[in-house]
Amino acid sequence: MASIELRSVSKAYDGGVHAVRDIDLSIADGEFMIFLGPSGCGKSTTLRMIAGLETATAGDILIGGERVNDLDPAKRDISIVFQNYALFPHMSVRKNLSFGLRLKGTPRAEIERRIGHVSKMMGIDELLDRRPSQLSGGQRQRVALGRALVREPQAFLLDEPLSNLDAKLRAVMRTELIKLHQRLGTTMVHVTHDQVEAMTMGERICIMKDGEVVQVGAPLEVYTNPADTFVAGFLATPSMNLMPARLEADGDGLAIHLAAGTIAVPEPFRAAYAPYAGQAIIAGMRPEDFHEKPAEAGPFGQLVETTIETVEALGPETILTLSQPGGTAFAARVSAAGTSRAGDKIRLTYDAGKLHLFDPRTTKRIARPLSV
Amino acid sequence: MRIKPATLLRHGILIAFSAAILLPLLWVLRVSLTDKLTAYKIPPEIGHLSFDNFIEVFTRFDFSLWFANSFGIALATTAISLPAATMMAYAAARYRTGGAPLLVTVLASQMLPPIVLVLPLFLLVTTMVPIGGRAAITLAHVAVNLPFMAWMMVSFFEGETKQLEEAARAEGATRWQAFRLITVPVAMPGILAAGLLGFILSWNEFLYALILSTSKSQTLSVGLASMETQAGVNIAPLAAATLLGLAPVLILLPFLQKYLIKGLSLGALK
Ligand SMILES: Nc1ncnc2c1ncn2[C@@H]1O[C@H](COP(=O)(O)OP(=O)(O)O)[C@@H](O)[C@H]1O
Ligand SMILES: [Mg+2]
Repeated sequence: MASIELRSVSKAYDGGVHAVRDIDLSIADGEFMIFLGPSGCGKSTTLRMIAGLETATAGDILIGGERVNDLDPAKRDISIVFQNYALFPHMSVRKNLSFGLRLKGTPRAEIERRIGHVSKMMGIDELLDRRPSQLSGGQRQRVALGRALVREPQAFLLDEPLSNLDAKLRAVMRTELIKLHQRLGTTMVHVTHDQVEAMTMGERICIMKDGEVVQVGAPLEVYTNPADTFVAGFLATPSMNLMPARLEADGDGLAIHLAAGTIAVPEPFRAAYAPYAGQAIIAGMRPEDFHEKPAEAGPFGQLVETTIETVEALGPETILTLSQPGGTAFAARVSAAGTSRAGDKIRLTYDAGKLHLFDPRTTKRIARPLSV
Repeated sequence: MRIKPATLLRHGILIAFSAAILLPLLWVLRVSLTDKLTAYKIPPEIGHLSFDNFIEVFTRFDFSLWFANSFGIALATTAISLPAATMMAYAAARYRTGGAPLLVTVLASQMLPPIVLVLPLFLLVTTMVPIGGRAAITLAHVAVNLPFMAWMMVSFFEGETKQLEEAARAEGATRWQAFRLITVPVAMPGILAAGLLGFILSWNEFLYALILSTSKSQTLSVGLASMETQAGVNIAPLAAATLLGLAPVLILLPFLQKYLIKGLSLGALK
């Protein structure tokens, strides 16, 4: 097992595409790290540089504290699982699993033992004599994972391994991967563009955009304190409402003027936000911080009155789209039992203790004491 | 059941084209089975059928020698150029080796009239091996076939095999091991297709074989041509010899087609 460290790593492809820019990241030994970001943001490139399949144009890559920039992928002792599995089509499942071990000259008895162990663990022991073409998508996925496992490498790199599976199987494999990590304790880096996967699986999430790391942190930390409007808008569905507003002095305090009305800034945040008084800001409000019962909204609850535009009943919860005359509509997530219908007036209480303000010029979050 | 006019038209066109392709072959078949006098009759007559011409090809002409020469040269050409072309194609697909411009140049060289290359090739070959031998012809065929085969195989090494190779390398294989254990076996249908095509090209080649051969090293195509001139045109035995010479190609073609389709489905066309 080993830690992975990236120091000012950049990658420019031949065509001049700057896929990754100046990434600094430390992945601890045994950690489950997620790379999350939209397609094309450089997740795969970063992973491939760690694996050695791509050379970094600048910076240092360290595995287990050792600089590996010039080390052949074969010598890095890591496993990578690709999105399309990359099973060797001309070999049986057994041969696929044993490929790396045979290259290393592992004794046959030991290979047999490990294949037996891993194939049972992955539930593929019945499939050992089949060719990859005779397997279903889910089975191929297990074989690909199994092939990564038998070598007992320093770290696992997984490049969107679940994205070719149907929704149900994906949920199953998600749990299995988490369990696998708990059992093995090996460092894992898992790439995904699916924020649900990221929130549920990782110990930490590294959110990337346009080849840069935007924010690194535990899922809840990133969720409650997004670094900028990109992260705020990327995590969770429906995502955080980002509403253009003005911050104005209001007697002793501060108030946010939205198209729909004003929201007083809670006292603990005032000092942090005061320098922005009189300026345009972006108010970030999560749909789940709107409550039907004022008591649920905490000490900083503030009444919001508006009209319902649409109602999306999802079963356990309901998503309301609320109109904001003169501004964009925003979403609120409320309990299921409501009898609300489109066109109804509604009174919700917003928990202003969860409010975030973003600077519209930099899109960065304006620092304030952590959520109360 | 009524047949639609469109269907009728389509089949009419197809039949016409098939006939245009098949008729010369059928003509040759007829000529090869008739005696020398009937052979020239127009409109064609079948007359008395016999295999005399096929026997005469072996008794009066050096058909077996030509056949053996052609076979040996085609086999040697393929054996030499296929491994080399495989590695060249791999290098072109993986490394910075001139990229698309190089490949276009290779293709362009194939479009030159063969006669343009005769003199330079003659000079080059004679500096390396004795003129007139089978080795000389083989060498010329290698020189012409190798770039073409390499060009053809480049696309087989793009796409799927690239990722498989990366997987192999992450599993601990060196570049060479990944090439030998993964890429070559996976691309084998494409490689075989290129090999078969190289064999057929060498088998059919006429010009270089004519320039570089003596009567001992004549290939089939050169031998067939010589039948036309020695004592007038021996049209009936010539037809028989042509059919015999065609046989290996006809046997190989279905395999070529099968491997070519498999090979192409590996590469960029997938
Ligand atoms: N081999 C390559 N050559 C040139 N550009 C590439 C190559 N691979 C990826 N890119 C570019 O680099 C950027 C990042 O790609 P990638 O790392 O695959 O993103 P992600 O995995 O996050 O979707 C994209 O703009 C992509 O087009
Ligand atoms: Mg990717």
